[in-house]
Amino acid sequence: MTTLDAHAHHDEGSYFSGPPGMLSKVWQWMSTVDHKKIGVMYLFAILFMFFLGGVAALAVRYELMDPVRTVQTLDMETGEMITTTTGERLGGLKDIMGAKSANEVYNRMFTLHGAVMVFMFIVPSIPASLGNFFLPIMLGAKDVAFPRLNLLSWYIYVTGCVFGVLSILMGGVDTGWTFYTPYSTTTDADHWRVVLMILAAFILGFSSILTGMNFVVSVHKLRAPGMGWFDMPLFLWAIYATSIIQVLATPVIGITLLLLVFERTMHIGIFDPAMGGDPVLYQHFFWFYSHPVVYVMILPAMGIISELLAIHSRKHIFGYRAIAFSSLGIAAVSFLVWGHHIFTAMGELAAILFSGLTFLVAIPTAIKVFNWIATLYKGSIVLNTPMLYALAFLFTFSIGGLTGLPLATLATDLHLHDTYYVVAHFHYVMMGGTVIAFMGGIHHWWPKMFGKMYNEKAAILGCIIVFIGFNLTFFTQFFLGTQGMPRRYANYVDEFQTLHIISTYGSWLLLLGFLIHLGTFIASLVAGEKAPPNPWGGLTLEWETESPPIEHNFHHEPVLTHGPYDFETTVPPHWDPKDYPLPENPSRH
Amino acid sequence: MNIPTLASTNASFLQRIIFGDNAASEAAAWSDGLFMMIFWFSAFFFVLLMGLMVYFCIKYRRKPGVAAEPSPHHNLHIEILWTVVPSASLLVMFVLGFKGYAMKTVSPTDAMELKVDAWKWAWKVTYPNGASSPETKFLSYQETDIGISSGLEYPIFYVPEDTEVKLRMHSQDVIHSFWIPEFRTKMDVIPNRYTGYGFKTPALRDSDTVIQVDDQGISSEIPGRDMWIFCAEYCGDEHSRMAATLRIVPREIYDEKIKFWGTPKDPKVLGQQLWKTMCAICHSIDGSPGTGPTWAPMNGYGFGNMAQMDDGTEMMRDDNYIRQSILDPNAHIVSGYAPAMPSFQGQLSDTDIEGLLAFIKSLAESDSDEQEDNQQADDSAGSDG
Repeated sequence: MTTLDAHAHHDEGSYFSGPPGMLSKVWQWMSTVDHKKIGVMYLFAILFMFFLGGVAALAVRYELMDPVRTVQTLDMETGEMITTTTGERLGGLKDIMGAKSANEVYNRMFTLHGAVMVFMFIVPSIPASLGNFFLPIMLGAKDVAFPRLNLLSWYIYVTGCVFGVLSILMGGVDTGWTFYTPYSTTTDADHWRVVLMILAAFILGFSSILTGMNFVVSVHKLRAPGMGWFDMPLFLWAIYATSIIQVLATPVIGITLLLLVFERTMHIGIFDPAMGGDPVLYQHFFWFYSHPVVYVMILPAMGIISELLAIHSRKHIFGYRAIAFSSLGIAAVSFLVWGHHIFTAMGELAAILFSGLTFLVAIPTAIKVFNWIATLYKGSIVLNTPMLYALAFLFTFSIGGLTGLPLATLATDLHLHDTYYVVAHFHYVMMGGTVIAFMGGIHHWWPKMFGKMYNEKAAILGCIIVFIGFNLTFFTQFFLGTQGMPRRYANYVDEFQTLHIISTYGSWLLLLGFLIHLGTFIASLVAGEKAPPNPWGGLTLEWETESPPIEHNFHHEPVLTHGPYDFETTVPPHWDPKDYPLPENPSRH
Repeated sequence: MNIPTLASTNASFLQRIIFGDNAASEAAAWSDGLFMMIFWFSAFFFVLLMGLMVYFCIKYRRKPGVAAEPSPHHNLHIEILWTVVPSASLLVMFVLGFKGYAMKTVSPTDAMELKVDAWKWAWKVTYPNGASSPETKFLSYQETDIGISSGLEYPIFYVPEDTEVKLRMHSQDVIHSFWIPEFRTKMDVIPNRYTGYGFKTPALRDSDTVIQVDDQGISSEIPGRDMWIFCAEYCGDEHSRMAATLRIVPREIYDEKIKFWGTPKDPKVLGQQLWKTMCAICHSIDGSPGTGPTWAPMNGYGFGNMAQMDDGTEMMRDDNYIRQSILDPNAHIVSGYAPAMPSFQGQLSDTDIEGLLAFIKSLAESDSDEQEDNQQADDSAGSDG
């Protein structure tokens, strides 16, 4: 079943061995239609955005280390009372950002954190980087269905990011990433930076739609001979479900954001009651996109976890079809639950309906977690970095999912809504889910993408520090929320200080963990050991080609002869008995 | 400063850590109980799943030369089991959540109705007799070794104990959210419609006392219980300072207070009280910068001085200018400020506006001695709580 004869075709270079000369190399990357190069460019751009959003998050945590107080002291020399303000830690940025007060600096920081992390980092994160790189290879194809469209969506992404960064350089916006009206249509009325940020999100949406369309068509049309729907790796099922949501939901946010721009610039009353609009209508429009998009963020992460758990425990995934269908089920139900973001702004009947529908979405999610745990049963589990990240995901994502239950329950949501409890919950899902899985995925596919191994010990250390830092940062926030701390507060009552300080220390640990990863990645690129074609013994098609893959992915069109998780019966391509043993099974091919 | 507590519920140790032991109504205690039920359900599954995960990772760790044993790829019975059990449990949560929602939002028809008004960035509660509370207290207050440390002042809203209360809420500008953590309920306050919810105030116990400060700055202990009100929907620069205190007092004290607030008083005093509860978040009277221009008669600000407008014109800060600034604030904007102020048309009566005018004028007239008196009155109000 070999599709690759490495020795015979060694002359065909890896995808990044371009022409000589710096300029022509740069041009080759900028004009490439190769999904792998586009994926790598996305990866670095997305990680840069993660860094930018992370800096804002650290600033937010830094401000929250103490409440703002006015301290009156007696000046011994003049006998006068001197009034000073303490606790405005971001006050120094006031002039640089052109803000009126330290509070406004804080408000811009959390908006910047949210907008960058949601629109520029987490929505494109896994699909645009790992998805772009691996979807065609895992299908056994040369490229995505529309390679030029793929390049276009990369440039649209870059344009969106430029708009966003311009808005930030002009001082940033204080609308919150949700742009709730009428605040967002009236704040900083004279400034274009709010419109710029809204347009950034608008433009980024098109990148999302085009990538989604490309992937849907690729999955339908480009599967290798022999690959039926149920022979696809679960990562592809997840990306497929994600793409459907992107194509269907993103136009709604596009229209909504455009209406917001019309209202701001031309004063057409759509959402602002002062002009005859309805502010809650905006929330319905916004969440009609932004709830499904939560699953755009988490479904690809779930796909990665299915791959990592199966490969690193050398086990057939438990309940393949249940996992595949639960991805589609989540995608379908995700369109019916947007109302649970606005229980406190809607009528009773609507609230009850949306509460019931929200519980529905919990079921396919729970099924996935059960299947993942069952996959470990009787496996041959190795605790390397990707696997540790997968296990960390099971831990944090389970907390994220379970803490969602009191938010779907109407009675308890009325207390917890818009508090730090919600902040903690969605960070457990988005960061504890998507980012942790993304880190696991990057470590898993790093040798394939760049042809270099990384220092395993350093990566494991980074993983452990990220895990501890993450839990320290966000577990404390559950208690802040239940005890009464509202979100988006620059200042708070004294009782909450201890928990805020712990949370901030956690954010510093997170920074340390990510810096360690950055170090191992750079060390790997500069001086990493050459990676073998199949370092983990995977059976999906990307492990049949070389590391890094050649320009056209495969020397010959691959033909699928086994399922993606048939570890019990199949010899992995490029198998090295030193790495792992194989079962004594005579039925093996 | 302590958050007042009520030991009316038999909260478990864990429940006290999670919520604090301060549920102030039956509905609130019930909702905490529901949370704890969901918590134990979640904890059971979380420990079970993580226990299995850790156990499998140890038992089935990779050993050199030993391969993974073949095991089933799926199992219909177990898959049905783990679909049906969560589904049934979730149905229970949904139904109980619905019940608790009704407890928190529906109030008896004869409940006492309070009108809540919100704007950037203050709350106002109007009582059935049309009066509203002029009293304030500090958000946080400490005496440290380097001096007195305090937060900003916030209004105190009085409600009688052991009474059904319902709120009718409306916003003057953007969306806010009225949250009383101890009643475990919040609802958005929206500019183009009324929203609201109800709660039953708890009966006071002997140990529930608060410090109140009267007009002369004399403090005394009265029976009562304070709880926070926070704005929970992001509304701009001073969102985190949009707080208030709900003070539950015996019926007699409540009746006496709203009767007193309902009777006419010296316009200057009325104006000062209105400033403290409604205007102070943006307009200072000591010259310090804020979202709006200071009212202090210094550096060209204050009554009787010319204002530099953003369209290049100059306007005299006289009676009419101030009246227009209150009722139609965005007609003219002082240079360097944003059009951030909502209109108080319908919010403030003519008497209120007269009061504010009198107070603003008094700032310009007052000499430094009077200023200092004001300062002292403010300081002693801070010893409250």
